[in-house]
Amino acid sequence: MSFKKPLFLCLFSLVLAGPALLGQTAPAGASNQVLLNTMQQELDRAMTSLSKADPAPYFISYAVTEESGAVVMASNGALVANANRHDRTADISVRVGSRDLDNTHGDNRYNAITTAALPLDDKPDAIARVLWLNTDRMYKKAAQGFMEVKTDTKVRAEEEDSSPDFSVEKPQVFIGKGIAPESFDRKAWEDRIRRYSSIFSKYPDIENSTVVLLIEDSTRYFVSSEGSRLVDSRPLIRVLALGNTRSSDGMELARSETFDASSFDKLDSDQVMTAKIEKIAQDLQKLKKAPIVEPFNGPALLSGRAAAVFFHEVVGHRLEGQRQRGENEGQTFTKMIGQPVLPKFLSVEDDPTLPSLGGVELSGNYNYDEEGEKSRRVDLISNGILKQFLMSRMPVKGFMQSNGHGRGQSGLMPVGRQGNLIVRSTKTVPDSELRKELINEIRKQKKPFGLYFEDIAGGFTLTMRNMPQAFQVMPLMVWKVYPDGRPDELVRGVDIIGTPLQALNRIVLTGQKIDVFNGECGAESGSVPVSAAAPAMLFSEIEVQKVAQGHERPPVLPPPGVEKPEVASQQQNANPGGR
Amino acid sequence: MQRFLSTILLFVTMSVFALAAESAPPSAAPTDDHGDPVLKAMIAELKRSQEKLQLGQLQRPYYIEYQVSELEDQTADATLGALRSDQVNAGRLVRVVVRIGDYKQDSYFGSGTGAVEMMPTDDQELALRRQLWLATDKAYKAALTGFTEKEAALKNVETETDLVDFSQEKPSQSVGDLARSSVDMEKWKQMLRSTSDIFRSDASLESSNAFLSFRVLNRYYVNTEGTITRSGKAVYSYAFSGTGQADDGMWIERSHGWVVTRPDELPKPNEIQKEAKQLIGTFKALEKAPLVEDDYRGPVLFSADAATSMFERLIVPNILGIRPDLGNPARTNGEFASYYKGRVLPDMFTVVDDPKAKEIDHQTLAGNYDVDDEGVEAQKVTVIDKGILTNYLLGREPIRDFPHSNGHGRTALGGAPRPSISNLIFKAANGASFEELKKKLIDMCKDQGRPYGYYVETTGPQLSPRLLWRVYVNDGHMELVRGAIFKQLDTRALRSDIVAAGNDTYVYNRTEPLPSAIVSPSVLFGELEIQRANHTREKLPQYPAPALSTVTASN
Repeated sequence: MSFKKPLFLCLFSLVLAGPALLGQTAPAGASNQVLLNTMQQELDRAMTSLSKADPAPYFISYAVTEESGAVVMASNGALVANANRHDRTADISVRVGSRDLDNTHGDNRYNAITTAALPLDDKPDAIARVLWLNTDRMYKKAAQGFMEVKTDTKVRAEEEDSSPDFSVEKPQVFIGKGIAPESFDRKAWEDRIRRYSSIFSKYPDIENSTVVLLIEDSTRYFVSSEGSRLVDSRPLIRVLALGNTRSSDGMELARSETFDASSFDKLDSDQVMTAKIEKIAQDLQKLKKAPIVEPFNGPALLSGRAAAVFFHEVVGHRLEGQRQRGENEGQTFTKMIGQPVLPKFLSVEDDPTLPSLGGVELSGNYNYDEEGEKSRRVDLISNGILKQFLMSRMPVKGFMQSNGHGRGQSGLMPVGRQGNLIVRSTKTVPDSELRKELINEIRKQKKPFGLYFEDIAGGFTLTMRNMPQAFQVMPLMVWKVYPDGRPDELVRGVDIIGTPLQALNRIVLTGQKIDVFNGECGAESGSVPVSAAAPAMLFSEIEVQKVAQGHERPPVLPPPGVEKPEVASQQQNANPGGR
Repeated sequence: MQRFLSTILLFVTMSVFALAAESAPPSAAPTDDHGDPVLKAMIAELKRSQEKLQLGQLQRPYYIEYQVSELEDQTADATLGALRSDQVNAGRLVRVVVRIGDYKQDSYFGSGTGAVEMMPTDDQELALRRQLWLATDKAYKAALTGFTEKEAALKNVETETDLVDFSQEKPSQSVGDLARSSVDMEKWKQMLRSTSDIFRSDASLESSNAFLSFRVLNRYYVNTEGTITRSGKAVYSYAFSGTGQADDGMWIERSHGWVVTRPDELPKPNEIQKEAKQLIGTFKALEKAPLVEDDYRGPVLFSADAATSMFERLIVPNILGIRPDLGNPARTNGEFASYYKGRVLPDMFTVVDDPKAKEIDHQTLAGNYDVDDEGVEAQKVTVIDKGILTNYLLGREPIRDFPHSNGHGRTALGGAPRPSISNLIFKAANGASFEELKKKLIDMCKDQGRPYGYYVETTGPQLSPRLLWRVYVNDGHMELVRGAIFKQLDTRALRSDIVAAGNDTYVYNRTEPLPSAIVSPSVLFGELEIQRANHTREKLPQYPAPALSTVTASN
């Protein structure tokens, strides 16, 4: 759980380098024709002018993201940051060579985009000049990159996957309505975030805690030399609560809760949010005192939320198209198309077109991906059989087309990413019977207990932009369930061992209700909002051991305001000496 | 005898502190919070930590300090009349240093140099104290580690035994007013639009912009020696710049700016306009200017402006009393480490660093402060006296022959304070007028049979000349040239080759790395080498820039 450091570093940089004043400039409102037309004109001019160059570009695209947003952050009942931002960022992509081999080949891919800040005021010639200067730079970078690619391919052994570098797709035209920046009662929300953050103060064992309100209204303008022309908007309101503590042996323990919605009225109610934040604060208090897990191999039940995170990290990321091609990739699934990879009763789809599921909004919903492709539902695994991958416009062997999953954050080349990953099951029992099934399984295997995974954290459960994330799973709330009616017992420090993929084939049955987890997912193309949804799942076998982590002691003194001399002296005597 | 005495003194000091470490450390935390909620929280937590912080039987802190920085930073830029960025960064953070050991040898080493946490912007005592508590705990544990790391490192090196780790200084009580930003941002954003719009007049420029940075920094400081300080400082900067390419691909960059400490000192619209137009004019002149082809080795006149940049690069880093790494016996890690009481400039120069100076010749000085970031009162220091290096600028980490701070330990934001300049003022005895210097340049060239000498008006990064003129001997006319660099412009050249200086004054206020000022007269080198620059020249744009409308939209 390397949660604390990157998170708080990240929040720190947010305050010192992030936010800006909401524009008294061009309001990010209705879709902006001046901007779109300027982009189109400058793109056409670049394409025509550079057609005489050698090498000439065969593709240019401009993607401009206009973002206005706000951040309100508080800890222990006091505001820590409070800011607005408004910016316009242009991502310029130039491809030279041909679709079969171009400047984006191999490791050069990540160098094939140039980003620039565009004027916020709608002054066409000022915008055009920034686009021109950066297109020229990008072109020069592309021309040089292509030379390197050509040399490199001559020198190196033939690649296993000799797919082209860029797929052929039909141009898309869609002029959506821009969105007006979400207006909100700032004062009321400041007080609300303060109040949420003060929940943690009631628990003296919690060290760092933060509650953040993030508002991100982004409108994306996209034009390409293939004729695509898109304007699309996405509002996101997010409340994020995070807390951490340390057990007396130094293990870091973290809990977080995310509330995402497309508008304020769709957010969970004040009551629900208060209760959920209260719960993670209580969880931390309980975790701190929980015993460490002992090595165990036996039946386990994953809650829907835990199963969703597990599938996102373990299955979803490994089905991203570029992982089947990169030479440094594990390529777990590359050659398993048409073969069983999951029990027959399970199917996995990624459907970014879905705005909600079971009444819950899905954060991974979008109309067009960052390469301008229309989003679509992709059946990744049907009845246990692997069917296809999450594709951007970078083909891999056997999959020559994008399926609308080329995603990334501004400034980074899009790659195949998840949107709304949904796991469906045909072998279900009512959720009320899952516990009984787990106990049956424990008895059948003659185990002293089983495990209930209430919550698992992955890269995307700790949801802040710009956080480096790896796709791994970190079980956070795990309970020992006894077959003899004793109450469940919380344990900490659980680490799943063995390959997670093997574990997937030990799924016995699932619940009926599909749980949704919304969050922000990080990978090589940056941070994108995603959802994962799955029913609760019973595993016949999961192997766990104690995680190796943390060694720093809890704070020496109790927090200010809760001075109890006996607590201090007890802690002092607990572990004398030792450094 | 002297060594013997100091050894005894040292022994006494050490035993005093060894005793102190066993009993409760003397509580010298400040008590008067001056009605300030931030200071109140800091004092409360400092006192609690000083009295109670101890892990098991491990050493207790002998020293704790808190510095809270409260920042409000407004930045914006515009290009060709359109606002491009507009940001406000605001927040508070605290840097906590806990030291264990004693003044002679302590934990301020490796991991043990402090901890930083964010602080609430609301003045809520418990929430403020909570962050202080977390940072203090982190800093204490870091100090325990640092102390061990230091002991381990000391086993591997020979060290100067008479240098203490941390100097003892008189506690300061200086609670001043906080600064608040009072500029009309809308007006200034409009100013950025209109300034950047002026650059439309030269469509050949590839990029140009006008930008501003208005920063207010309030500081709160307490330590367990009884120091309590509060201060506020504002720095306003406004600038514009442009970039173009000559036909041969050479980059031409120009910029102009103002750095002041009060909003009313910011330039007026007509002044900005005049300077911008003048700067734009230099692009055309530079594009047409001939390239420097031949090596030159002769007299060169630096304007006062160019001289401040030269001194910034060649003198500033070398007068800082920064102790070198453990085991390195040098006095400082700068080039002047062994020049104490030695010549570093011709004897016409006297150089003073004066943090208390607020202005010179009615021009604001950006490096003004009363107490430094280690809680030590600012002192005026004569660094170079008639060309002889007499002092270094010092914080609380002593260097050989300088056992005490002279109030120059400074930090920009959350970093560790280091010796830094404040207002570094170069003055020359018997300074000549600029015209006299120019005449002297011509006379020297004439004597040496040269057709021309060189005059440096401004410099860019790495001391590369931006506006460099040939001054012709026959009629004194000046010709702009481009594509030159100085060769061997170093501390030796400063010491030996300056023949005269002016009675003029240029104030170079800078915001980075810290608000500070360098003030200098014009300087005439008897001999300096100027060569053709062999930079790789970038290709011109592959296709022409889009047309610019000449209709100005602003104003």
